[in-house]
Amino acid sequence: MSVEKKILKARETTSFLFLVALFLIVGIINPSFLTPSNISACFNTSVVYTLIAVGMAFAIFVGEIDVSVGSNMGLVAAVVGTMIQNGSNWLVAFLVGILIGVIVGLVNGWGVAVMKVPSLIFTLGTNGILRGLMYLQVGVEQVNQLPKAFKDIASMTLIGSFTIYYCCAVVLTIIIHYLLTNTRRGRYFIAVGDNVGGAELVGIPATRTKVLAYVICGVLSAVAGIIFCSRIGIVTSLSGNGYEMKAVAACVLGGISLSGGVGSVIGAGIGAVIMASISYLLVFMGFSSNYDNAITGVILITIVVVDALMQRRAAVRNRHARLAARTLAAVSEKEGEQ
Amino acid sequence: MSQNPAKPKNEVSLRRWTKGPNFRWNLFLVALLAAECIVFGIANPKFLSLTRIFTSANSDLPIWYISIFVTFVMITGGIDIQSCAIVGLTSIIIGVAWQDFGLNIWIAALLAILVAAACGALSGFFVAYCGVQAMVVTLGGSFLYSGLGLLVSTLSSTEAYKGISGFPDSFKALTKIKLFGVVPLQILIFLVMLGIAYLLLHRTKYGRKVFLVGVNPSAAEYSGVNSRRVVMSTYILSALAASITGVVMTSQLGTAKADLGGNFTMTIITACVLGGTLSTGGKGSAIGTALAAVSITLLRFGMPLCFNVNKQYLDIPIGMLLVVVVVGRAIASNPMVVAKVAKRFPAAKKAAG
Repeated sequence: MSVEKKILKARETTSFLFLVALFLIVGIINPSFLTPSNISACFNTSVVYTLIAVGMAFAIFVGEIDVSVGSNMGLVAAVVGTMIQNGSNWLVAFLVGILIGVIVGLVNGWGVAVMKVPSLIFTLGTNGILRGLMYLQVGVEQVNQLPKAFKDIASMTLIGSFTIYYCCAVVLTIIIHYLLTNTRRGRYFIAVGDNVGGAELVGIPATRTKVLAYVICGVLSAVAGIIFCSRIGIVTSLSGNGYEMKAVAACVLGGISLSGGVGSVIGAGIGAVIMASISYLLVFMGFSSNYDNAITGVILITIVVVDALMQRRAAVRNRHARLAARTLAAVSEKEGEQ
Repeated sequence: MSQNPAKPKNEVSLRRWTKGPNFRWNLFLVALLAAECIVFGIANPKFLSLTRIFTSANSDLPIWYISIFVTFVMITGGIDIQSCAIVGLTSIIIGVAWQDFGLNIWIAALLAILVAAACGALSGFFVAYCGVQAMVVTLGGSFLYSGLGLLVSTLSSTEAYKGISGFPDSFKALTKIKLFGVVPLQILIFLVMLGIAYLLLHRTKYGRKVFLVGVNPSAAEYSGVNSRRVVMSTYILSALAASITGVVMTSQLGTAKADLGGNFTMTIITACVLGGTLSTGGKGSAIGTALAAVSITLLRFGMPLCFNVNKQYLDIPIGMLLVVVVVGRAIASNPMVVAKVAKRFPAAKKAAG
């Protein structure tokens, strides 16, 4: 298949076209939206969602789900924020944050892949534990005395008006996409999600791949937590609440199938931009933020239902084609015998 | 049971109870409840007061009411995370229809229940007839219905964050009634709902269909069960349960708010799983879920009262409970462990079989 055809057939292309259409529609209704600073703001606000959605994509690729990412992110933000606030070395704080992410990923991976507990249930449990630990860390106060230098990184721009964080997230996503599609170990994730039994039969270590997927998910959520801390500057005991659902929604919007084995991390990134910019776009369309959730829900349901119907039609067509081919073969064989 | 018609009826029904698929698990849950009562009761005798327990149950109503019907959804292999949004939607519809459209409060409540049923039917339709994963549909549903709740609240002349109050006394009295001066009506409603759920799930043809669809949807389809309609109906049932919760909570608080359901999703799923429902479908019981929901409420009530645990830390013990239960069951059902136990205790194998 040629490169253009491949790009046209990719599921994330639909999401990208949807994003462009969304921007254009808003631009037609309110031309003042179409300025570089507004559009880049949409991308810049999505950085935390992008990282979490890419992490979530790994869990979904292997056919599982991780609903503990929101609390994981919040806990890391709280711990790193407190450490930096108390004047410890930034690098040490970051390493501690990422270590938390690794541990959470290992625990989730152990429960889901080794103990074979349904992933939604297990990560729901770890979600509760992490959220509780976060209350222990933050309490009723909030982390808001972060040094200015740490918060200023968030407003530094690199290319045009894109922030340094967003550029890093994009580069990271592209590297991960390359590794996933072009290396042997990278392709394990999709293979395990597509067909666990088949993957094990050809010698892929399914359990280890699943644990690794959870660890990557945990680490990316931890990085998102650090960036959240620097961008927002305030961490309360509720920070990160509900992010897991937004991350799942971003993955679905980006064309990743929740049954596993289908999709790409680029799609997750695009979905995250759509999720993050909806409330921003609504302001330009003259709606109040009350419409936020309703419109997110409508978009989410519409996309998955249309996708499911199209997939079913394709499956029916494929079956008919296979049946026709088989009948044809049988007929010609019979004629050959005669 | 039909192959042994000679046996006396008493023994048959007793066997049905003790040999039921969830009997051992329910026994464990009863033991858990008793343990909670003993531990909390020793730590602080104030815990052992029915009035206090019933009062604490009032704030946990969504868990009790909704989880017994989310069990239906989970038995068919689906999941429902939209019910909390429906609770808020019901509440705000009652408020707006009564205050700003001048409807009778009971008609407003009926209207809200109908809307909730329609919401459940919509999600159920997408899951059953379009083949979209239940998780995604109800995730979208939770956004959509909580968003609709907010939109409905903008129709009102009262600001959304204040909530609509000043309902007629007859409506508020609904939850002030106390049977024998102790048992509030909310608990009675719960018992009635539990009875309905038990009869539906374990004593009717419909219940067998729900289980069959969960065990093997294609087998159900081949044996003439309209599995799509069964799946869709479970979502309507859970939405109806959510709407009844909305009505009761509105009456209890005397305020209609769009965010009344709070975030009980995790606790509801915990109650279902702790009650012995398999999230992959095909297994579960209404009684088990109810027992689990009650024991979660006791935990949420007892920890702050007896051990001075801050209410906000309650996610830790509930999360731990969930993880320990699911991991414990995974270990117990591991073929290697089962084989080892059977070798060590031959009698246990006989009992288990």
